[in-house]
Amino acid sequence: MSLCPRDFLERWQEVLELESLTGDISLDRRLPNADLASPGLALAGYTARFMPDRMHVLGETEMSYLASLDASARRAALEGFLSHDLPLVFVTKGQDVSVEFLELARAREVPVFRTQLKTAPFYRAIKPIAEEAFAPRTTTHGSMADVYGVGLLFVGRSGIGKSECVLDLIERGHRLVADDVVQITRRGKDVLIAQGHELAAHHMEIRGVGLIDIPALFGIRSVRQQKRVEVVVQLEDWETAKDADRSGLTRQENTILGVSLPKVVVPLNPGKNLTVISEVVAMNHLLRMMGIDVASAFNQRLILKMKEQRGLREYLQEDFE
Amino acid sequence: MIEQPVTIINSLGLHARPAALLVKAASQFTSEVKLGKDDMFINGKSIMGVMMLAAECGSVLRIRADGPDEAEAVAALMALVNQGFNEE
Repeated sequence: MSLCPRDFLERWQEVLELESLTGDISLDRRLPNADLASPGLALAGYTARFMPDRMHVLGETEMSYLASLDASARRAALEGFLSHDLPLVFVTKGQDVSVEFLELARAREVPVFRTQLKTAPFYRAIKPIAEEAFAPRTTTHGSMADVYGVGLLFVGRSGIGKSECVLDLIERGHRLVADDVVQITRRGKDVLIAQGHELAAHHMEIRGVGLIDIPALFGIRSVRQQKRVEVVVQLEDWETAKDADRSGLTRQENTILGVSLPKVVVPLNPGKNLTVISEVVAMNHLLRMMGIDVASAFNQRLILKMKEQRGLREYLQEDFE
Repeated sequence: MIEQPVTIINSLGLHARPAALLVKAASQFTSEVKLGKDDMFINGKSIMGVMMLAAECGSVLRIRADGPDEAEAVAALMALVNQGFNEE
């Protein structure tokens, strides 16, 4: 996905309290990245580290600096600043922008937006919007559900029963996030957020039944718009499930968009109650998050017992009384 | 039906990781696989059973298989134990 100046006006005008001071100029150019900068030093003439591909935010510091210059110095500063092919300039706190500034901006086809927000709140408000727009994203074939608050992403070959599993979970009071097409976005470094395609709108295809509308059938509580992906549940055919974990000690991982997630491989055979298994996977994940690792605690007990037995055996072996 | 005794040589004994390896190996055969220690025999394809043996280092594990691929099954499991499950 990308972002252009028009998106701010059309989708976030109220949140960001925006107006365009340069009319329709360059509203549809694609912004190169999500970064913002305040160009204080660049206005003062130091342009060595200037990043012209960022969106620039002129706060009170910049505007009062410009006002402090005499006419020719101000013009030189503005011409220098606007000579870079700037993607978008914001002026904060509803400050007045001179006709000279706007004429130069129009000549350079640089859009200038004014916000009523002060600089710091403006940065806080616009950053998540811009970062979301540029966040790495991918689409996966699978089903996503919220089970006891844990985001489970079901993957596996077509027809193995992902949708049926999620349908059963919904019936038991868990919530559908997306079926078949799951869109995954990375937030920051290690959080993956899954959501459905807006066209799908919580419909599912169940083989033999066709398309069903989940909130219409199960109510609004049965769906969720988005959910963090926390565990990948990989469904496999019984015969081919080679890497199914038998002890729970080995952690398998699945990497999506550079984020590694715990993965559980569940081998399937007819009559297996995948729903209960999914609930247990979710609850086990919660236990682990709380620092309780059942498998390794059990193993420690076992190892301790064997150690005692070994000690006793060795003691008795050396006992020739 | 064949049965072979083998001594556990890895220092931690038959804890969860080696137990999982044994169970995985045993599950690849169609023969019935039983593992025994002292007078307790359990299903070699069940991890809980294998761990319940609590077969420590130095103890003798009896590997018993019954079925069409019994010889291969016993050989494979013996090999795993004799390698010390690639542990110390």
